[in-house]
Amino acid sequence: MTQSADNVLDHFELFRGPEYQNMLAAKRELFENRRDPAEVERVREWAKTAEYQEKNFAREALTINPAKACQPLGAVFAAVGFEGTLPFVHGSQGCVAYYRSHFSRHFKEPTSCVSSSMTEDAAVFGGLNNMIDGLANTYSMYKPKMIAVSTTCMAEVIGDDLNAFIKTAKEKGSVPEAFDVPFAHTPAFVGSHVTGYDNALKGILEHFWDGKAGTAPKVERQPNGKINFIGGFDGYTVGNIREIKRIFDLMGVEYTILGDNSDVWDTPTDGEFRMYDGGTTLEEAAAAVHAKATLSMQEYCTEKTLPFIAGHGHETVAFNHPVGVAGTDRFLMEVARLTGKEIPDALARERGRLVDAIADSSSHIHGKKFALYGDPDLCLGLAGFLLELGAEPTHVLATNGSKGWAAKMQELFDSSPFGKNCKAYPGRDLWHMRSLLFTEPVDYLIGNTYGKYLERDTGTPLIRIGFPIFDRHHHHRYPVWGYQGGMNVLVRILDKIFDTFDANTNIPSKSDYSFDIIR
Amino acid sequence: MTTLSATIQEVFNEPACAKNAAKSEKERKKGCTKQLQPGGAAGGCAFDGAKIALQPLTDVAHLVHGPIACEGNSWDNRGAKSSGPSLWRTGFTTDINETDIVFGGEKRLFKAIREIIGKYDPPAVFVYQTCIPAMTGDDINAVAKAASAKFGKPVIPINAPGFVGPKNLGNKLAGEALLDHVIGTVEPEYTTPYDINIIGEYNLSGELWQVKPLLDALGIRVLSCISGDGRYREVAQSHRAKAAMMVCSKAMINVARKMEERYGIPFFEGSFYGIGDTSDSLREIARLLVSRGAPADLLDRTEALIAREEAKAWASIAPFKPLFAGKRVLLITGGVKSWSVVAALQEAGLEIAGTSVKKSTKEDKERIKELMGEDAHMIEDMTPREMYRMLKDAKADIMLSGGRSQFVALKAAMPWLDINQERHHAYMGYVGMVDLLREIAKTLFNPVWEQVRRPAPWDDPADNWQARALAEIVAPQLAAE
Repeated sequence: MTQSADNVLDHFELFRGPEYQNMLAAKRELFENRRDPAEVERVREWAKTAEYQEKNFAREALTINPAKACQPLGAVFAAVGFEGTLPFVHGSQGCVAYYRSHFSRHFKEPTSCVSSSMTEDAAVFGGLNNMIDGLANTYSMYKPKMIAVSTTCMAEVIGDDLNAFIKTAKEKGSVPEAFDVPFAHTPAFVGSHVTGYDNALKGILEHFWDGKAGTAPKVERQPNGKINFIGGFDGYTVGNIREIKRIFDLMGVEYTILGDNSDVWDTPTDGEFRMYDGGTTLEEAAAAVHAKATLSMQEYCTEKTLPFIAGHGHETVAFNHPVGVAGTDRFLMEVARLTGKEIPDALARERGRLVDAIADSSSHIHGKKFALYGDPDLCLGLAGFLLELGAEPTHVLATNGSKGWAAKMQELFDSSPFGKNCKAYPGRDLWHMRSLLFTEPVDYLIGNTYGKYLERDTGTPLIRIGFPIFDRHHHHRYPVWGYQGGMNVLVRILDKIFDTFDANTNIPSKSDYSFDIIR
Repeated sequence: MTTLSATIQEVFNEPACAKNAAKSEKERKKGCTKQLQPGGAAGGCAFDGAKIALQPLTDVAHLVHGPIACEGNSWDNRGAKSSGPSLWRTGFTTDINETDIVFGGEKRLFKAIREIIGKYDPPAVFVYQTCIPAMTGDDINAVAKAASAKFGKPVIPINAPGFVGPKNLGNKLAGEALLDHVIGTVEPEYTTPYDINIIGEYNLSGELWQVKPLLDALGIRVLSCISGDGRYREVAQSHRAKAAMMVCSKAMINVARKMEERYGIPFFEGSFYGIGDTSDSLREIARLLVSRGAPADLLDRTEALIAREEAKAWASIAPFKPLFAGKRVLLITGGVKSWSVVAALQEAGLEIAGTSVKKSTKEDKERIKELMGEDAHMIEDMTPREMYRMLKDAKADIMLSGGRSQFVALKAAMPWLDINQERHHAYMGYVGMVDLLREIAKTLFNPVWEQVRRPAPWDDPADNWQARALAEIVAPQLAAE
């Protein structure tokens, strides 16, 4: 027998044994109405052709392997960036379990989030009772400082009115009258997780700045010299926010991070369970209205939030997830301009080091073709960096990218001779990408964990940059912003390039004449 | 006088070297390589020179007798390529310790040889002497001799401990070891009128393989390449070649000259860098072979091959010419001969802003003048600081050099391309020339150079470190003028 109590094999090994192999083969043969393998092979090959690609791109209704997630996921991301805040998703609890597992698989940390657990009767009669009970239970069981409410599709379809529901719940004593319960409607059938982030963050700021849904006077803005910083939905938030704080501290900038997730998704193991950790304090969130200006690192994550903030008299500046030398230059110059602070020598040296590292390695990246997918801002930032390295971001795809985003991508391509043969694909999915990788092959693919299927099917080496990264650990601890972040991205790209060299040259006495120690 | 110092004196007296021949007796005794300057950031040692010259022999076990420093830092650092054995990449060392220094390391060395032969059974073991056992008096010649007799296997002592001089001397001492112990010890199974040796060629990044198909097409057999992708047996039987080409004149001229003396193998100095040079070398090989009795039609076949290959190469180069219009190159090389690269670059329409002649002979310099004109900008020995100024002054668009100068280039915000031993691209032959141009194009047009040249956007260009550094260099010069 393959399996034995003395030496229990795990799934890697067990099913390779002859018993299982024979059984599975017989099952295919006898019960599974197996297709002719030659026919399967023919279709597999056909799916690599331009003819198939044409049909694939003519697809209208079906999305296959989408590179996006839903609004409430983004809402939960935004909410846990505030001190002691428990995200409360009004709707089905299954959805909420997904958000928690999604984040936990990426950050390898627990993510606390509750749901109003709507069931069939709530769907018919409305979810008011679920809101009343849910807020009461959340408040008494988990002792949060704030409950940030968002919605799943279920609540949105039946039209539950969060504002009224929360008000009623407070009247019924679910939570004290003065307790902070900001909210945002976040239906998944509109936009994506970046939209949800935007709505939730705006909901929280509206709550604090615009009189807490009519329960408090509006805050009178008294401009000071501080700036607000919004990171956006970002898989590297732990490393990135810490890097941004370090940069601001080096510059002597007074700042507020709006939505600081860096601690809650990186809690120490010291015997204490931290359901909440770090985050923007509620006082800071409220006082942020007085700031001079607000910076958003990701334009498409703050399409509503930034105009809302601008409406309160802030100067607002949006970036597109800047990565690399020029991107970081622009970011720092803006910070320097807005705050009147100088960029210190320490940062100038970091800049020089990144330029130096790029120069040292440029010949290995120069002219290499990359396919790239991810959130719209990340695509812009990474494509900019690739162009800076002399690489060609040949296919850039964002399932949640708009036509406006595609135009912006095109503008970026047009700014560099290396962007000449590059194209942006808004609203496309990873099955479209699969066709592209077959018909117009590239050297490397940049994407999240789901890209590993594309890597396997098309043989294009995958460089894991994006969200989610489930099958590699701790990438989120390393920033991709700032010059040091650029260095991390550079190293990640180079590592894969050299790994690929090694993998292509490692057969003894055949290809290993190029299996070199020095690359 | 010990054998080693006798050998060194002999190496210094190189009649085939024009530079050496022009020296007085006294000068010659002092040696042909410049004395190392204490305190200067200088090049490698004789051991390193010997090791890199012979390491590309792929089926040999290269055993370094010394403390871990020597092999630990040089293990598998040679970008040569092997078409077969990989033993040359395995790092063998006696890794001697304090006891060996006090009581002598000869026994350990002998045991190490025995273990190598027992475990790997290579065709030969090369034993490299290093400073420490040379100082404590380990006699590797005696150990090698005893081991050879005991195990019935060639054990070759390479007597070039680091302190005897610089790298180049080590190259030559390695050649002496081959002449003394290897060459002429085995007879080939058969010979042909088309057998040649290639001397001083290391198959870096597989360069030899870009040339070998040309020789194959002509029916010319490389009886032995010393030492790129070489085998022990090939070197041992190399004395039966009809002619030889010497590729790197600096490293192995003694080998070529002495083989001519001992075995009557005529040689010429040639290069496979650049289209014209490749053609010239092929012609010269054919001419020598015919003069030694090969059928005369070889000459015509060679011309036909050259015509065909040159046409192909020119066609591949043509697209680069508009790209390179007005681009200036600064060439700082050590091992690779400047003039042959100069010719190659000119072929692609690049302008030469200057070239180093540190290791070039008078003859080399003459050829550079021929190519670049009388006022050719030739650079002698340079400190990094001078190089920096040179790069700034020359206003070149790119520098081609070995790895050690790259950082000077980077500080001077100058694109840089590695053309020395640790490079990863093969530039030999007709194909290699196109590769070199492709790499130059990549380097010239990589966007990072714009970043390198441009100060940080918040910088005051009049007061950044580059401006200050330049002022520091230029000010004393102005004061002097």
